[in-house]
Amino acid sequence: MKINTLVISLTLVSGYAAASDTPVQPTGAMPPSAQLCVSCHGAQGEGIEPLGPRLAGLSSEYISTQLHHFQKGIRQNATMMPMAMTLQGDGIEQVASYFSAQQVKTQVTPLIRGKQVTFADDTARLAYQGDWSRGLPACVTCHGPSGLGGGLFPRLAGQQASYIKTQLLAWQDGARKGDVDGMMANVANKLTAAEVDALATYFANLK
Amino acid sequence: MKYSAMLLLAATGLFTLQAQASSTEQAPERPDKQAPLPSFPKMPEQTYLTPRPLSAIPDGAFGDKVRLGYQLFVNTQQLRDKYVGNELNCTNCHMDAGRKANASPLWGAYFAYPAYRKKDDKVSSFEERIQGCFNYSMNGKAPASGSPELVALSAYAYWLGMGGLMDEAKISGPVPELSDTELLKGAKREDFPLPEGLAKVMTVEQRANLPGRAYPEIPKPELAYSPERGKEVYVAHCQTCHSVDGQGQAIAGVYALPPLWGPKSYNWGAGMHRVNTAAFFIYENMPFGKSMQLTHQQAWDVAAYINSHERPQDPRSKGDVKQAQEKYHNDSDYYGLSVDGKVLGTESYPVFPKKS
Repeated sequence: MKINTLVISLTLVSGYAAASDTPVQPTGAMPPSAQLCVSCHGAQGEGIEPLGPRLAGLSSEYISTQLHHFQKGIRQNATMMPMAMTLQGDGIEQVASYFSAQQVKTQVTPLIRGKQVTFADDTARLAYQGDWSRGLPACVTCHGPSGLGGGLFPRLAGQQASYIKTQLLAWQDGARKGDVDGMMANVANKLTAAEVDALATYFANLK
Repeated sequence: MKYSAMLLLAATGLFTLQAQASSTEQAPERPDKQAPLPSFPKMPEQTYLTPRPLSAIPDGAFGDKVRLGYQLFVNTQQLRDKYVGNELNCTNCHMDAGRKANASPLWGAYFAYPAYRKKDDKVSSFEERIQGCFNYSMNGKAPASGSPELVALSAYAYWLGMGGLMDEAKISGPVPELSDTELLKGAKREDFPLPEGLAKVMTVEQRANLPGRAYPEIPKPELAYSPERGKEVYVAHCQTCHSVDGQGQAIAGVYALPPLWGPKSYNWGAGMHRVNTAAFFIYENMPFGKSMQLTHQQAWDVAAYINSHERPQDPRSKGDVKQAQEKYHNDSDYYGLSVDGKVLGTESYPVFPKKS
């Protein structure tokens, strides 16, 4: 807290804040608006299972979109809806920018599509090749090789299994919306309960 | 003469209508100069050939060619700078690694070649057809005849189709191995080697017209297609994946969500640059996973929007856009037409550029 005050005072003194009403944060420092997130998501957005998913590794675009969705009730969650409401002004941008800048601690070497032709594991095959007999595209088409994510498509690699599962179920029962043309709901609704479990574990273990 | 004067009048009429909304020229209706193999409207309740799973590819030298074909098909970027000059992979347009019906499946094409192609004004073998993909869709330089890549892609296409046909005819056993020479020719010929019993089930002509081949045709739009309306469709349904600027999205260097125009996409000679081909593809296959169905009109309009942007040059052009337009275009496309004050083709991107 002291450090923050010092930083803000220094910023004010140096005159950077002159153009804006809100103090400009030095690169890398946690903005005050993000402090509320820490108890569930961790100081570096590393996630605390089962309180909150990992935010590190998600894009700023994705985090801010989801916060807007919580605010508008497009994405329903008893904890996150009121939390998101606390973010006013450019709070959302600050939080999104801070957590998206955090590094994921474990390195994943992406498996590029085509490298492997056959998969003994049905779940890996579903993730990499989909099941078009059911109109199911491969997860990696949108979420990227090894589910690394990018833009509006969240990273799945190394995310908590419990969280991935909860989200797939939320897509299925409509508690989570906001995907363009219902693309993700369409995919989730074609998955069996066993596949939801298996995919959640599969991506969580890509570390 | 009278006919063309009427066409001109009709085109002028259309243009006047369009001009009120924007400065985009309407692509005139003209005889098709580079028509692909005919496609057919989709039939309800139709069943389609089902290729065998990839795990059924046999061990050994022949199986290795089939596997390599699959790998090149889904990760065509491994040929970047060698034969490929953009960011696309075959599987971007041929869904499910060339296995999906109504998404120009490889198995449908394999049994349809050799075939006369208006585009080349000659009978093309299957290998020559794939060379065309490299030169146009991949904005690259085709591998030489008989090269391992063309053998592999032919082997994969053949294996997908033959396995499916054998299963339908209840002929068990592995797909018969063929020599490279046979593989490269394609299967639409009387002397194509078939497993015993299969020749009696289907004629060459029937095999060449398997249901699900190509992209199913959709009716002409009620209103002349319009890039302006298409832009609205694009913003609402396409840009989340393909980006606001049409440049797609790369994750870990892979454009699984491909660029649709500009220097990283297919060139002005590719089949997909035609509004009709793109409309057929889009109506049947987009948005990815088909969570909703676009209307026919939306498919035509958004195809027009996508294909009224600049892209890499038509490799057949000799430097004169007007000349190339007269010779190769003016059918269902925007090459040589003026869009937002610029004639498309005049500021085209290079053919087969090195990846920077």
